[in-house]
Amino acid sequence: MNIELSEEAAEYGRQALEAFKAAGGDGLVQQAEAEPGHRAEQVAPVLAELGAWDLDARGDADELEAAAALCRSAGYWAVPYPVAERLARPADLGTDGLVVVAGTAPAGAVAGLDLRWTAVTPDGRRATAAALPPAAPPRESAFVTGLALTPLDEAGAADAALGLVLPCWTLLGMLDRAIDLAREHVLVREQFGRPLAQFQGVQFQLTDAEVERSGLEMMARYALWSGQANLPEALDDALALRLAALEAAETVFRVAHQLHGAIGFCDESPLSWISRYSQPVRRLPLGLSATRDLLARRLGRHALTGRYGDVAERVTS
Amino acid sequence: MGKAAAGLRGELRELVAENVPADFLGAFTDDPADLETAQGFCRVLAERGLLCLAWPEEYGGAGASVWEQTVVREEMWAHHEPRGAQYMGVNWVGPTIMRHGTAEQRSRHLPPIARGEVIWCQGFSEPDAGSDLASLRTAARRDGDGWRISGQKIWTSYATMAQWCFLLARTSKQEKKQQGLTIFLVPMSDPAIEVRPIDCMMGPHHLNEVFFDDLKVTEADVLGDVDGGWKVVQEVLSFERVGIARYARCERLLRLAPEVLGDRWDDLPDELRGRWAGALTRCRRARLLAYQVVAAQDRGAVRPGDAAAYRIAVTKLDQESAEVLMEIVGSAPPDGEQGRIFRREVEDHWRYAQASTVASGSIEVQRILLARAMLAAS
Repeated sequence: MNIELSEEAAEYGRQALEAFKAAGGDGLVQQAEAEPGHRAEQVAPVLAELGAWDLDARGDADELEAAAALCRSAGYWAVPYPVAERLARPADLGTDGLVVVAGTAPAGAVAGLDLRWTAVTPDGRRATAAALPPAAPPRESAFVTGLALTPLDEAGAADAALGLVLPCWTLLGMLDRAIDLAREHVLVREQFGRPLAQFQGVQFQLTDAEVERSGLEMMARYALWSGQANLPEALDDALALRLAALEAAETVFRVAHQLHGAIGFCDESPLSWISRYSQPVRRLPLGLSATRDLLARRLGRHALTGRYGDVAERVTS
Repeated sequence: MGKAAAGLRGELRELVAENVPADFLGAFTDDPADLETAQGFCRVLAERGLLCLAWPEEYGGAGASVWEQTVVREEMWAHHEPRGAQYMGVNWVGPTIMRHGTAEQRSRHLPPIARGEVIWCQGFSEPDAGSDLASLRTAARRDGDGWRISGQKIWTSYATMAQWCFLLARTSKQEKKQQGLTIFLVPMSDPAIEVRPIDCMMGPHHLNEVFFDDLKVTEADVLGDVDGGWKVVQEVLSFERVGIARYARCERLLRLAPEVLGDRWDDLPDELRGRWAGALTRCRRARLLAYQVVAAQDRGAVRPGDAAAYRIAVTKLDQESAEVLMEIVGSAPPDGEQGRIFRREVEDHWRYAQASTVASGSIEVQRILLARAMLAAS
């Protein structure tokens, strides 16, 4: 088990954070919403400059870690582009990206991009996917649109694991930001003659959020390692990560909104944008209940396998 | 974690299987055989150099890595702590004496701890000093070349069976309440000490009142500097950064549940099996948060916020897993001897879990520590 990201990956993530900031930061998603037809143009040069599409997330542990760090940085600024989905593209199909789908209405946050997609279900059924014209403007849809699928094969188990894990890193970046914003707000905003941060009721909410965020970070590192090591239980680990991510998101965004008060709902507050644009990754392909249900069904009578030493954990009585 | 730690895990499991009865629920029951089991198990560990694994070799230890220490914590807690009360002596009383004790205190106290022969209790909490420990009022006053101690401690675990007490008392009144505190190492056999057990839901021996009525101690019983006890207490707490590996018992019981229930597992409500899967996920989360702290400890750079976040996560996990497990055995009571043992383990876990957010530093104190770390200037 490896629970540490390499220093190179961490440094790459920091560079990406700065590059997105320099390219517009919070303004990126706002511009994309105003001009959805140009959303790719805004971020494509930054991603190219970062060498994003040269990263081989499937071949090399270091590059997978760099890809995860890039997703996290993109999430921090709610970058309006499917970075995780593109980094997870299948190695063998010549498409531009991978979207995990489930249920009867396959969809993804890939509206309005001239890209070729592969879709994969959690049980590994792959299809070629074409993005349908969006049924609603991004203000309502956050770029989610339906996908028309043409079945291909059933060889996508590893695709599904990676396709679930990388968007969780994006969501982790969003939670990093939500907590940073909440922290900054309570340190500055005064009520009853003192900063909100001095109220224990405020502090305790913040700590509830941080426990969720830091726990998610560790789960994300574990699942990244599990997938890279091609463990047979990598998909279970990816679902466990997704479950932790969705639970964390619910707590963190609830706390961040509550501590911001009314200003957090306003368009002038970055929180309102991060919060709205976190919706696609939190609802698709499986929401909280569906993720928990699928994980429980896959586990059946076997608990999660844990590989914390050199051997897999086994039941002892 | 490394091969040494993995090998150690296997060795500990074998020793538990060979030396601890399957229905063992800890040393602190009404059945004296359980205490004997724990004492015997400590001797077995001591013979193999496993009791004080983390101690330096000069004191009978093996200088084990933080990961090996983690494995010991996990395996012992997962199996209802078959070392009994020894973890207190081994984990922090011994190391604190090594650091602050005189040569005489080290030679008197460390060998019996290393052999697993002696039980210590911790005289910290008082009726009016719980989370706010520095408010304690048990007083030691100078008397010739020694001290006289009077006062009351409460919630003192194992006081009925302990031979020694690691006692914190006020030796002077100073500007700050954290100043003027001193640690005494006192023998529990002294007639000036009275222990009154408190009946409680965790079972016997867990909670006691301890009264000190003009207890006479000598200068040789003072640990460290007079009036310098608070600094030592802070160190004690730092030895316990990770504390009890509560996730290990939660995970072991959650893993066992489907095996024990057999086909009846499939009849459980889907929602309950979902909660079971969620609790397992949070076991992993707590474990990884613990490992993050251990890895930092290994580098000598533990961030207080990380340790607090772990402790918040793991104590909440303890209670959540207890509720899920109680609902599982309530919905489909498992049969047979294995089922009977499992039901008792779950019920014991539930009772214990009620205290997990209170004992060893309440969850509120951990939240205060985490908030302080989060809100500090960056």
